[in-house]
Amino acid sequence: MKSYDLIIVGGGPGGYTSALRAAKLGLTVALVEKDHLGGTCLNRGCIPSKTLLYGARIVDMIGKGKLWGIEAGPPVIRFEQMRKRKDAVIQRLRSGIDMMLKAGKVDQYRGHGTVHPDLTVTVRIQGQDVAIRGKHVILATGSQPSLPPVPGLEQAEVHTSDTIFDIERLPESIVIVGGGVIGLEFADIFSTLGASVTVVEAVERILAAEDADAAKAVEKHLREKGVKFFTGAKVESMRRENGHKIVSVQTASGKAELAAEEILVAAGRRPNLSGLEGLGLRMNGPFVAVDEYLQTNIPNVYAVGDVTGGWQLAHVATAEGFRAVDNIAKKKEKMDYRVVPRCLYTSPEIASVGLSEQAARERGYDVKTATFPLAGIGKAVAVDEAGGFMKLIADRKYGEILGVVLVGPHVTEMIGEASAFMVLEGTVEEMARMIHPHPTISEIFFETADHWLKS
Amino acid sequence: MAKPVIMPKLGMTMETGTIIRWFKEEGEPVKAGEVLFEVMTDKINIEVESYETGILLKRYYEAEAVVPVNHVIAYIGEAGEQVPERPPEDAPSGEAGETKTASLSEGRPAEEPPAEGTPAEEGDSGGGKVRATPAARRLARERGVPLEQIRGSGERGRIHLADVEAYLEEHAVRATPLARKAAEAEGIDLRTVTGSGVHGKIMKQDVEAARAPAAPSAADEKMVKLEGMRKIIARRMSESAFTAPHVTLSTEADMTRVIELRESLLPIVEQQTGYRLSYTEVIVKAAAMCLRRHPQMRVQLQGEYIRYVQDVHVGLAIALEQGLIVPVIRHADQKGLAELTRECKTLASLARENKLTPDQITGGTFTVSNLGMYAVDMFTPIINQPESAILGVGRIAEKAVGLGGQIVLRPMITLSLSFDHRVIDGAPAAAFLTDLKRMLENPYELLI
Repeated sequence: MKSYDLIIVGGGPGGYTSALRAAKLGLTVALVEKDHLGGTCLNRGCIPSKTLLYGARIVDMIGKGKLWGIEAGPPVIRFEQMRKRKDAVIQRLRSGIDMMLKAGKVDQYRGHGTVHPDLTVTVRIQGQDVAIRGKHVILATGSQPSLPPVPGLEQAEVHTSDTIFDIERLPESIVIVGGGVIGLEFADIFSTLGASVTVVEAVERILAAEDADAAKAVEKHLREKGVKFFTGAKVESMRRENGHKIVSVQTASGKAELAAEEILVAAGRRPNLSGLEGLGLRMNGPFVAVDEYLQTNIPNVYAVGDVTGGWQLAHVATAEGFRAVDNIAKKKEKMDYRVVPRCLYTSPEIASVGLSEQAARERGYDVKTATFPLAGIGKAVAVDEAGGFMKLIADRKYGEILGVVLVGPHVTEMIGEASAFMVLEGTVEEMARMIHPHPTISEIFFETADHWLKS
Repeated sequence: MAKPVIMPKLGMTMETGTIIRWFKEEGEPVKAGEVLFEVMTDKINIEVESYETGILLKRYYEAEAVVPVNHVIAYIGEAGEQVPERPPEDAPSGEAGETKTASLSEGRPAEEPPAEGTPAEEGDSGGGKVRATPAARRLARERGVPLEQIRGSGERGRIHLADVEAYLEEHAVRATPLARKAAEAEGIDLRTVTGSGVHGKIMKQDVEAARAPAAPSAADEKMVKLEGMRKIIARRMSESAFTAPHVTLSTEADMTRVIELRESLLPIVEQQTGYRLSYTEVIVKAAAMCLRRHPQMRVQLQGEYIRYVQDVHVGLAIALEQGLIVPVIRHADQKGLAELTRECKTLASLARENKLTPDQITGGTFTVSNLGMYAVDMFTPIINQPESAILGVGRIAEKAVGLGGQIVLRPMITLSLSFDHRVIDGAPAAAFLTDLKRMLENPYELLI
């Protein structure tokens, strides 16, 4: 039986990055993946959705051309080509990961792995079981969409984010169950490409985890594209009727029947625990429980990423993977979640980092916030993207930056500046003093900071 | 004309002094010989008397300020005289030695010749003047760096601009803006904070960790600020314990003959000196004689070099009400028991009256720490750096020992020798301790 310093189960953003890191630190590493490299993120999540969202942005730009006197006529959308483009992107990135793993001397075991308490892993490769042994194991098995127990859901043949990317043709209408990050990005894609979209959300507002003002800005924009919202709405049942799929919802104002060509369920994700059953893992709700060092209850077994619940973000899985590898190979340190950027790639984009205003108050900070509109930024007006804002959440005592919310174009790229300030412990004063290039959207940083200092 | 008061150089190795307190306010009259201020060096607190009579016109530094030696810290003159608003920051030149205005309580001169071989000072006989280029002086002044602390790379140790820059780079405190603000708000000196960030950068959490603990919960608990001698002891003990790998060897010695020796010498020494000979002096004498024979024990680690010390100067740990101090008996190996007794007793009483001069507590080669007056047999003493070994002496107690096939009671003493394993190995230390045991068991060797 081949032995390794470290076996990583799962080749997603938590797993393959950890494998490369560990190999670089001199550990012998095996990576077990039953499907494609890159995990949900690359194959069924971040990357394909960003490819399609960019298509949506091109459609937006063509429409906006009129303001500049550029007329191109109504765009013709060949959805098949859009899908091909998405597949090409995925293919290219997958082979990139494969190349890096090979160059990094990580042994790949491509099959379903079962982890045993003695830290052996049996991998089912083309009908054969191959056993390997590890001194340490990192579980990075990820998650999959969970389906709520709704009557008629199976007959309605709903899509999840696992299947929706590969639909044959663009639906004319779609009901999206779930008003979170995933649901809204699809609402943006389909509405921009011309479908009639209805979003059903169980709680009172969309993007419940995000800043309320930011959520409102996105909702406003999507409404302008014709998206209908049912919030505080409970899905009672689903059915098929006359070639249509029908979702029955109950809201405060009564019942409604929503008919559409397709239904997308984007209502949470559950951990992938297949192959981990025999370990006797301690659980945290449905997820694998880990301590602050990312260790499970089994000695030398760590878990990172979606399988542990938490943020369920690719970059958090990667950061956790790095931390777990360092805890194995170097000094043990706690995972630090103080500066986690969160991005939503709708139009406008939302990007935030650190604490929300409410969370900051709950932690006892002497919170002061300042908000500055993009309408006051020359570049935003010049490119007709002035609908967003920046909100700065900081502690009065030292001007410590506790959180930042950005809404607008390219803010997912800009949130790095806020993160850097927090990681390097810059304060509002430095943010206000730092020279920002003009004209850029990024000027909103010093404008907001200056506003915070003066208010 | 107003006369400057300077930070006295109270010992060969003293580079800076911390002002503990002033005894005179600005505008108050001062008489020559009156105590003007108290200063703390890295080894001792001392009260400094004024050399001048007049009005204290200006104080440039307040309590807690750290000032390089020979820097002007105040002016004394006639009322209404003009003095500079800011202290003249250059180290005084040669003639400053003539305007010395402060002396120790004991009346020692404030100035001493510069330490031999101190790089920044070498090559200049002019009373400790630091050689530096004007650009180096200006930068050092602007950044508040004492030139004395900078190693000059130029001819005859002259300090160049690049040397000051290198010093600043090396001694720069790296802290995040947030950590700086927190430190400023909490009154924490960032130089005392250990950084946990990349390359030791000080983060906010490090400042928070360095902050004084919260107020005590129980009403009868008290919080006493770590300062003065206590602070010096705390720093020196942890420095020694955490830098020098300590090894402690112990052995027992039969004190029968030392007891006989002491009893027969007691009246003679008392008649000569007025002091009673104690076991401490006998042990100091024996240790000193053994040190003379064991040069491997007389070593000091100095950077990348091991210094072999020629002289046998033995420190004697004296317990004080508020701490501990180690006066040094110079050339202990060359002194007779009467002279040693007089010196030990004198130093001990000076120590208790807080009157030891800095040079009476520096320059030791070895230390003896005697806890024999307590019910202590063996202990693990901490080396008094820069020395490399220390002897812990326990009580003399009757113990059953095997002697010629018989169990007999003998007055036994336990000797504990801690040594710095970086520079002294186990075998030479064991040989030294064996020699010392033999000498105490045959004290007539002390006569040789």
